[in-house]
Amino acid sequence: MKEKLAELRLDGDKRIASAATVAELQTVKGAILGKKGAITELLKEIPKLDIALRPEMGSAANELKNHLASLIDEREEALRLLTAAIPPDFDLTVPGTPPLSGALHPITQMRYDLDDTFRSLGFEIFQEDEITSELYAFDSLNFPQDHPARESMDTYWLDGHDTGRGGDRLCLRPHLTGASVRYMQSHEPPFRFVYPGRVYRNETTDARHERAFFQYEALIVDRDLPFTAGKVMVKGVLDRVFGRDVPVRMRVGFFPFVEPGFEIDMSCLVCGGKGCSVCKNVGWIEIMPGGMPHPNVLRAAGLDPAEYTGFYVNIGLDRLVMMRYGVDDVRFFHSADLRFLSQFR
Amino acid sequence: MKISLDWLKDYIDLPESIDIRKLAYDLTMSTVEVEGAEPTAEKFNNIVAGKIIEVLPHPNADKLRICRTDVGGEIKQIVCGGTNLRDGMTVAVAKPGAFVRWHGEGGLVEIKNAKLRGAESYGMICASSEIGLFDLFPTEENAVIVDLSDFDAAPGTRLDIALGIDDVILEIDNQSLTNRPDLWGHYGIARELSALYGIPLKGISCGLACQEIAGSGNPGLRIAIDAPERCARYMGLRIENVSAKASSFKIQSRLWRVGQRPINALVDITNYVMLALGQPTHAFDSGNIEGGITVRKARDGEKLLLLNGRELSLSPEDLVIADDEEAVALAGIMGGSKDSVLEGTTDVILEIANFSALGTRKTATRFELRTEASVRYEKGIEPQRVELAASLSASLFASEFPSMRITACADNYPRPLMPPRVKMSLEWLARRMGKKIPEATIRAMLERLGFTVEIDGDVVDVTPPSWRSTGDISLPDDIMEEIARLHGYENFEPSPIVSSFTRTVNQREHELERRLREYLSFRCGMQEIFTYPWVKDTLIDTLSLPKDGMLRLSTPPAPEESRIRSSLLPNIIDAVSKNVRNFADGFAIYELAQVFYDRGYEPRQDEREKLPAQRRRLSGAIAGSPGDIGGLFRRAKGIVENMPRFTHMAPFSFGHREGEGAERTGKPAWADGTVWLSVMRGDEAIGCLALLSKKPALDCGIKQAAVMVFDLDVDAMKAFPSRTNSFARPSEYPQAEHDISMMFDESVKWSDIESAAMGKRGPDDLVREARFIGEYRGSQIPRGKKSVTVRLVIGSDAKTLTSEEIEKASGTITKRLSRQLGGELRA
Repeated sequence: MKEKLAELRLDGDKRIASAATVAELQTVKGAILGKKGAITELLKEIPKLDIALRPEMGSAANELKNHLASLIDEREEALRLLTAAIPPDFDLTVPGTPPLSGALHPITQMRYDLDDTFRSLGFEIFQEDEITSELYAFDSLNFPQDHPARESMDTYWLDGHDTGRGGDRLCLRPHLTGASVRYMQSHEPPFRFVYPGRVYRNETTDARHERAFFQYEALIVDRDLPFTAGKVMVKGVLDRVFGRDVPVRMRVGFFPFVEPGFEIDMSCLVCGGKGCSVCKNVGWIEIMPGGMPHPNVLRAAGLDPAEYTGFYVNIGLDRLVMMRYGVDDVRFFHSADLRFLSQFR
Repeated sequence: MKISLDWLKDYIDLPESIDIRKLAYDLTMSTVEVEGAEPTAEKFNNIVAGKIIEVLPHPNADKLRICRTDVGGEIKQIVCGGTNLRDGMTVAVAKPGAFVRWHGEGGLVEIKNAKLRGAESYGMICASSEIGLFDLFPTEENAVIVDLSDFDAAPGTRLDIALGIDDVILEIDNQSLTNRPDLWGHYGIARELSALYGIPLKGISCGLACQEIAGSGNPGLRIAIDAPERCARYMGLRIENVSAKASSFKIQSRLWRVGQRPINALVDITNYVMLALGQPTHAFDSGNIEGGITVRKARDGEKLLLLNGRELSLSPEDLVIADDEEAVALAGIMGGSKDSVLEGTTDVILEIANFSALGTRKTATRFELRTEASVRYEKGIEPQRVELAASLSASLFASEFPSMRITACADNYPRPLMPPRVKMSLEWLARRMGKKIPEATIRAMLERLGFTVEIDGDVVDVTPPSWRSTGDISLPDDIMEEIARLHGYENFEPSPIVSSFTRTVNQREHELERRLREYLSFRCGMQEIFTYPWVKDTLIDTLSLPKDGMLRLSTPPAPEESRIRSSLLPNIIDAVSKNVRNFADGFAIYELAQVFYDRGYEPRQDEREKLPAQRRRLSGAIAGSPGDIGGLFRRAKGIVENMPRFTHMAPFSFGHREGEGAERTGKPAWADGTVWLSVMRGDEAIGCLALLSKKPALDCGIKQAAVMVFDLDVDAMKAFPSRTNSFARPSEYPQAEHDISMMFDESVKWSDIESAAMGKRGPDDLVREARFIGEYRGSQIPRGKKSVTVRLVIGSDAKTLTSEEIEKASGTITKRLSRQLGGELRA
């Protein structure tokens, strides 16, 4: 009996270890532990043994049975892990499943970047209707009565509302600046706000000119704000948009609604300021006009220009996005062409 | 505007060492935008004066000659076909490496050593048109070589130096000059440089004492100004014994360098004065003026034939110069043909006048006649400049016509200009500029600009010079700008923005707009687009949108695009049709923008202003396969249905409203008869969700795709003040998900199934949710039926359910669906 047990153990260990699949192991299991398995058969022999040998042999046989059963379990576990393993020729080069493919318009992306920048400086966001009147588009902004922009050649006046003057003469807003007066009239100073939006000019379109384009204005009005404070704002905006320190220069410029007025240029990013076709060989690109609100504008807003002053910039979003990505035709922005828009994610 | 550095040097002694790039930069930073500085040297690179030693015949060609030419220290052989070649002649030689325009036509060509009919030729002897000098040396035909023998030109000297026309031409952006009438000429720019660099400005010398003639009491010329509000001053000089000969080379070459073609001495002098001083003048042929001169408003319908041959029909809004018979010129804009200076002119009347900016602009605009003169008058010239122009004109006439006589000088000056006085506080100035500039520096800066300055304690009392007094300078802020720009904006250090925090920025409406965009783009996979506010009439018709109620543009981008949108849909559908051929698998787009209505006119802030109703709308289109309308519908509906939850605003519901239009939002005319829903917020219909019906889709060229559309009123949405998700503790016991598939009649809707499953629930009801999983129609399902799979979520807060309990709860639902809706359980 003892020899039999030793033989079975040896044989069992070997067969279990050599089972290559779970199915093979099942066969081995049947042959050892099944109803007609070797161990089962052996156990049937125990009662036939001499009574004195029974306890010893019985426990030895059970020990063998447990040993083999647990060996089978172990082997089964190992085989299952083995078969679950990924074949080595699994293709790692197939592309990943793309996430949903939507995106904000590149102009909106730029706008929100600027919103975040200005909000971090405590600015509010202001938006106004796109149809406005001569009163706010020109009169409040110190435009002379005979200013050419008031003529239909530059501004989209509305049919049937184009003959009157001031509040009766309606147009698609030619710029955002008029909205600043609306904000100032309806809020309490000091002011610190931005007003993004689309504006309209009646002009011939080409790669650099559009009839509909986007502006982003920022205005601070406070008691005795020096214009040198505006320099901080300008620099912060450009650093944020381009992710690095961008050389900026501020030079004289004229606009009816500011005094003094500035043109703010940034170093041409295409040539690094050396001069190229993009910057017409000057190394600088006009990026935003700015200035201190003209006393007449502050008066139109109900403020005393002796007490209040401010700093204003008007950022051309289209131009800025074009510089950011190297877009060479402004007309793409209104094309609704997904082949263009889907590039900016 | 082109400015010649050489010309500027008549008025200011710029240092010889001046770096032209620096000068251009300084002007750009402080005064006007200089767009370029082009030295003439670049044009005349390798083009030199040469002296023909002898002209020899060409052995192989009758029309060609071989010229042995001194090109500076060496004699070269040059083959030339010129018809006027002679020994000893000084000519222009384009050496190898020079660029010329062959026969004055086509692009620039580089000259190389060449063999012409077997003879070596070192470069080429040029005609004037070949080196851009035609206007200075006009010839009848190309074969005539430009003869420079009159010039004292040493062979080998670069041609522009040899001719005394070496110069640098500054190109100035006219737009940056609009507010500075004083800068529209060389003298003004010189004056500005004088202030920038602290170099004295020279005066304009008067060659003849014309003022003495004016003061003699015998003006000799009758000048009447009937419209002094349009003409502040009119000076007339009668100048006799002149002729329409060519002007001197100095005048011609200066005009030519700044882009003005020389014509004859009389016209050239007027142009020269204008380009020097910015003051237009005009020469009439004195023989064509009957009697005196009257400046008056035109009569209604009065005719005037202009110099350029165009006949105008005038109105009293136009100002004319008239003699005793009729109008002879359109004041400040263009002369008439009657008074023109002609070949035979011997006596002229020189007009030096001041016309109003507004009047000149109006007439010039109405007749679309923008001339060099009108552009300058439109900026507002001070009447004092007339005297300067008279002085310069007189000295030019004297030098061009040594035997001329000024026989009359009349000066009618009804409206002298009073310069404004501006008071400014020094303390205020320092605060606004963020920097204190010493009083003496301020005084020096302003005085260099011609201002009169008196300082008394903190108060600076400033009187601008006449040339800055026509509107340019009137406020302390204007004075600040003068000081700041002369100091240089780049020389101010940035100063911090000081703030006092009284509240945080919290703008719900703006944040909602951003959340809507981000939801659609990032969660729903839609692409944001922008389209124009103007709409093609055909698109409006295709969608059967009402045209009345839409606003129109007076001067639209195109006649068929005169209407501005009251709905975003036409241009969105247009965008779908443009993209559909590139994105056959489908795509989704949206736009958030304003629409406009010709109604609801109301004041905003100011009672004087009434603006029409304008609302923000959010519209989108999802294009997909026409074979899966159900899937497309579910995607679109899911986007709208979940929008309120994900963007934190008051929820929407769906229904069927009556009536068309953005306010009622019943079935839109363009929508499919079945697949449409009204979108409501509370009781208010705020938009719709619908399938674009076949006909309009086809009319827009959308053949291969089905398009689901939503159109919502953003101004009717209501943002929550904050995030509003509510918390429910997850059950401690497991929940089971149990799917059942049942067959129903097609008429049974999901909403019926859901309410039957979930209706009449008791507190201990174990079915917590019935979710729609899918529908199936196919071979195993009879026609008119559908199989609906429902996922029941079953669980209890009190214990873990046994499988029997789960089965039982599910069975209750199946029985209920079967009893109430005739559902049959499938395997």
